[in-house]
Amino acid sequence: MTDDSDPPDSGDDDWYGDSDPRVPDASAWPDRDLGFLGDDVYLGDHVQIAEPVTPDDGAAEMRELERRLEQHRTPVFPIDLRRRLPLEGVWRRWRALAMWGRSDVVDDFGRDPRATARWEWLFEFLYSRWFRVQATGLEHIPDKGGALLVANHAGSLPYDSAMVMHAVRRDHPARRDVRPLVEDTVFHLPFLGLLMNRIGGVRADPENAERLLMKDELVAVFPEGEKGMAKLWKDRYRLQRFGRGGFVKLALRTSAPIIPVAVVGAEEAAPMLGKVTWFAKNIGIPWIPVTPTFPWLGPAGLLPLPSKWYVAFGPPIDLGKAHGPAAAEDRLLVNKLADQIRTQIQDMIEQLLGRRRSPVLSAYLG
Amino acid sequence: MASSTTGRVVAVTGACTYLGGELLRRLEEDPRYGRVLALDIRPPALAPGGKTEFIKIDLTQPTIDGELATLLERHAVDTFVHGAFLSHPTHASDWAHELEDVGTMHVLNACAGVEPRRLVMISTTLVYGAHPKNPNFLTEDAELRGHRDSRFVNDKVRAERQVQRYAKEHPRVEVAVLRFAPILGPTVSNLYTRFLARPVALVMMGHDPLMQFVHEQDAAFALQRAVESHATGAFNIVGKGVLPYTTVLALLGRVPIPMPQLVARQLTKVLWTTQIVGSPPSFLDFLLYLCVADGARARRELGFSARLSIKRTILDFLGIPPDDGAIDIAGAHA
Repeated sequence: MTDDSDPPDSGDDDWYGDSDPRVPDASAWPDRDLGFLGDDVYLGDHVQIAEPVTPDDGAAEMRELERRLEQHRTPVFPIDLRRRLPLEGVWRRWRALAMWGRSDVVDDFGRDPRATARWEWLFEFLYSRWFRVQATGLEHIPDKGGALLVANHAGSLPYDSAMVMHAVRRDHPARRDVRPLVEDTVFHLPFLGLLMNRIGGVRADPENAERLLMKDELVAVFPEGEKGMAKLWKDRYRLQRFGRGGFVKLALRTSAPIIPVAVVGAEEAAPMLGKVTWFAKNIGIPWIPVTPTFPWLGPAGLLPLPSKWYVAFGPPIDLGKAHGPAAAEDRLLVNKLADQIRTQIQDMIEQLLGRRRSPVLSAYLG
Repeated sequence: MASSTTGRVVAVTGACTYLGGELLRRLEEDPRYGRVLALDIRPPALAPGGKTEFIKIDLTQPTIDGELATLLERHAVDTFVHGAFLSHPTHASDWAHELEDVGTMHVLNACAGVEPRRLVMISTTLVYGAHPKNPNFLTEDAELRGHRDSRFVNDKVRAERQVQRYAKEHPRVEVAVLRFAPILGPTVSNLYTRFLARPVALVMMGHDPLMQFVHEQDAAFALQRAVESHATGAFNIVGKGVLPYTTVLALLGRVPIPMPQLVARQLTKVLWTTQIVGSPPSFLDFLLYLCVADGARARRELGFSARLSIKRTILDFLGIPPDDGAIDIAGAHA
């Protein structure tokens, strides 16, 4: 067994030596069948080199081979270290296991398709069973091309962005993916920010948003930002200042249409009665919310109450066509447009609230 | 040495670094270059009888700038490649400062006296620093914020600022700065390869930033392009695609050790002070926040785009060949 001239295909799977072409074994790879692994240049003189990829480039190929053979003679990190690694089989199985539930390709902003699929059931449950979301006006979202969804924001956890995302993916004919912009406080929260990022959330940053719109993605912004989440129960459905109008500048610059979105129900899902700022900064969050369930029931109190939700998508507003990209520098105009859109969303919210028969009970019964 | 100076003359500092060595090898094969000066404190592996000549230059010497200037004048150096930077943090931070920051000053002093046609500097994307406010893709215009308490990064930032100032004061010299994403590959050795070579790796609990690498062959090709071309300014040299840090670890089969920030900082501080590990506590920020650069400018103006995806790069670092058994590394840049 320890004979160096032992042929590589001796049939023993646990044997790994210097002349075994299967040393860098990828057959344990979860997502594809690599039973036919080709020859590897590291592996001594009996190896048959595979056909060059580009036939007319023999010189470069040979140079690379020489370089690697040269390195094979002098011990260099990974290969030679790996050869000496004990418990090779365990290591391979660990690798396969570690890749479980995650994809080896993510998009530029970190959306992992496999992780998204893994959490799909949770959002579907929240959407159709827990919040019983009624989405209207989905026909206003284009099948192709970028658009900016501008929505109101509420609740101590960003369930509203998840529901807007899920509504478009579930009920829109083109099943488009919405990329919500997540404010810093949530994005840098341990675990939660990470999850938001894997299922498609992007840190709220003008450069990120512009890049996404240039790639013809649907971007959801919550211009109220942290102030929207910090709203108390008594201020529910009263829209806060829309940031500094960054989303208007963005729409003007990229000439992407703005689609106003009104979300009703998020306020009742996590009614914030008060907030405690003491000690919150020490654990890295801006405040500790006090809801009818939260700190009292412990972590279970973070679960949202089963309120009835309405999501309405309004007709697109094409600011780019009306004002041109140069208008992004006009601060007065930007602020005016931002306020116009805020008023429009406020009106949409009032309309949806009017559908409810009584203010409190029907918020949950629907 | 026979001075058959037909063709361009290139001087390379840091000839023993990975990129320096690769550049020497590529210039040696290219007939357009008449002469190559390899400057370092120890001789690089050179093919005998070639056009490359080793000259011992120690950039930490206080009067080395004059020596460099005479050298540039005597050999009529046309392109100067400044790559004498450390790829790994060292405990000898005073020496590192002398080499990187002050060494760059010496190089620029010499280049101010005897202006070469072109100056190429090798830098890293670490100079942007990992900050919570970083956009997902940092462009070349982003501020070089470095790191609050990393001398390894800040020396490079200072060196880059000097080069920027030099470029402004000497408009006749074409100055290009290449900011390489962490280079990964079977032969290169740097902070990231050493960190990822260990069987276990620290993970900041609940954080998983996206990471970006460039394959060593892609990086060497980019450097070669930069020497050839006339493009000026800073260029991010990055690989194709990004992956979350824990996915990188999973692909490599490393065991992640999740730790709360507070514990991780104290632990790394102890391990770094006792010289047990080679990654300083400031490196933890790169496991917390994004530091990913955008390579569009290099694609547009330098004609460089990476040929290998991040997954292929990681597997090649590990020694796993491509699916079809072919070696696609060399053919990639034909």
